Amino acid sequence: MEQDQRIIVGVYHLSKSFGKHFGLHDVNLQVANGEFVFLVGPSGAGKSTLLRMIYMDDFPDSGQVVVGPYVSTRMKSSTIAELRRKTGIVFQDFRLLGDKTVFENVALALKAAGAGLGEIKKQVTEILMRVGLYHKRYDFPHELSGGEQQRVAIARAIANRPAVLLADEPTGNLDAVVTRSILELLFKINAGGTAVLMATHDLELVKSFGQRIIYLEGGRVVKDSEMIYVGDLRRKIDGSPVGRRAERLEGRDIRGEGEGR
Amino acid sequence: MNAAQFGYVFDEAATMLRRHKAANAVSIVIMGLSLLILVVFLLVTINVQAVIDRAGDEMRVYVYLADGAGEAAARDIQMRLLGLPGVEEVVFVPRDEALLSFRETLGKNSDMLDALEGNPLPDAFRVKVKPEYIRSERLEEMARNVEGWSGVEEARYGERWLERGEKLVKGFYFADLFVGLIILLSVVFVIANTVRLTVISRQRSIEVARLVGATNAYVRIPFLVEGAVQGAVAAGLAVALSAIVHAVARRHLPGLLFLGGDAIAAFVFFCTILGAIVSLGAMRRLLRF
Repeated sequence: MEQDQRIIVGVYHLSKSFGKHFGLHDVNLQVANGEFVFLVGPSGAGKSTLLRMIYMDDFPDSGQVVVGPYVSTRMKSSTIAELRRKTGIVFQDFRLLGDKTVFENVALALKAAGAGLGEIKKQVTEILMRVGLYHKRYDFPHELSGGEQQRVAIARAIANRPAVLLADEPTGNLDAVVTRSILELLFKINAGGTAVLMATHDLELVKSFGQRIIYLEGGRVVKDSEMIYVGDLRRKIDGSPVGRRAERLEGRDIRGEGEGR
Repeated sequence: MNAAQFGYVFDEAATMLRRHKAANAVSIVIMGLSLLILVVFLLVTINVQAVIDRAGDEMRVYVYLADGAGEAAARDIQMRLLGLPGVEEVVFVPRDEALLSFRETLGKNSDMLDALEGNPLPDAFRVKVKPEYIRSERLEEMARNVEGWSGVEEARYGERWLERGEKLVKGFYFADLFVGLIILLSVVFVIANTVRLTVISRQRSIEVARLVGATNAYVRIPFLVEGAVQGAVAAGLAVALSAIVHAVARRHLPGLLFLGGDAIAAFVFFCTILGAIVSLGAMRRLLRF
């Protein structure tokens, strides 16, 4: 299925079971271009599973995930690689390569995308400056603090200028001060136009920011702070808060453009 | 994959080999020792084969002419022998020459021959047969055929020796193939596991590379190159060690053959491909999509 171009991530009637108790049940949600969404729920609610479905490391038993032009039911190995290059992914455990320097870790994403060496050098330098780690470019991950490692992971995730950044408990291993700084970095990235979908179990942490929050519990979406009714794209784009937010971020009036593709 | 990516994967392979020197060295030594068993086995095979070939090469069929067959009949028989399939060379052995060489064979017991009246030995043809025709059934057929010719008394080819020799050689080939297969399978198994351990130890790198959008080819090629390099170096190590084994063994068994240049090149090539293939196989499970 094709979805409205203003929606970067669409999840439609997604179900996935792992035995009797775990899994996702008829999950529906959409994230608009440039939107910042917190995906909140207790451990085992299915947040990580949902994110894995979105970056297509796993596939639903039924329903569909659509990320930009990529549809979960039509993916092959090569299109998955393409999708990953357009989707930044950040994890609680950073997932940096211990045998590579900070620079090389960030460069990896650009190399995989086939960028030239000159471009890689320029781009990595710029991104490392943005996350404040240029001076540590020759360090190995074990020489960095947790917060710094997460900054490197974020730098790697945004190296290919993705349309959406998925973050799975990115602050789970960090103390309060560092957590705050990582969130600020994510907001800064979002302000540059990248949609961010961040999963966390910590409602207290996120509720003060006034961003959209989707609550997941027992594998179901139990509440969406902006009361968007999934499946009703026309209403969502034309009149809902998401529509207004997308409009604000894109800096232009998107209403009246029809339903897209 | 574009040209830049192609360059990166080879860079990556070089970096992997450089940064994981110890792990690679351990893998190469394990693989090299397993391959050494294979090389020693190959050496035993080619040396036994050489002994068998030499024995076959010395094998001759003797066609004895009837008394008083005459020169014309002898020439006719020689031409007919040369016309038989598998016959390489036909040499006339006059009875006097045969007696002389018999005398030489007997050595100091040769005075026994003095008791004989005249020369009891017949004129004969010594027939050299092509190696592929040295089979008891073929030679027997040939002998039976030739014995039917006029002027031929008898044709002999050392049938008892040949039959026993053939059984031995057949048994050796069977055992050789069987043992060879077992050794080959064990070596492939050891190499596959060694490479698999390397791949598993880099599972994290593979995961991360896939997460940032590396294609399967991009992820695979460095491992493929690494597996191939390990295979090639291990093969070189095995050949070097077997050369030492060969040099020591040759002191006791002079004339022992070693693998030729072509065989060494083929062996190293085989191990290079083997390393690459098992490396790919080991990754298959890690690259699901």
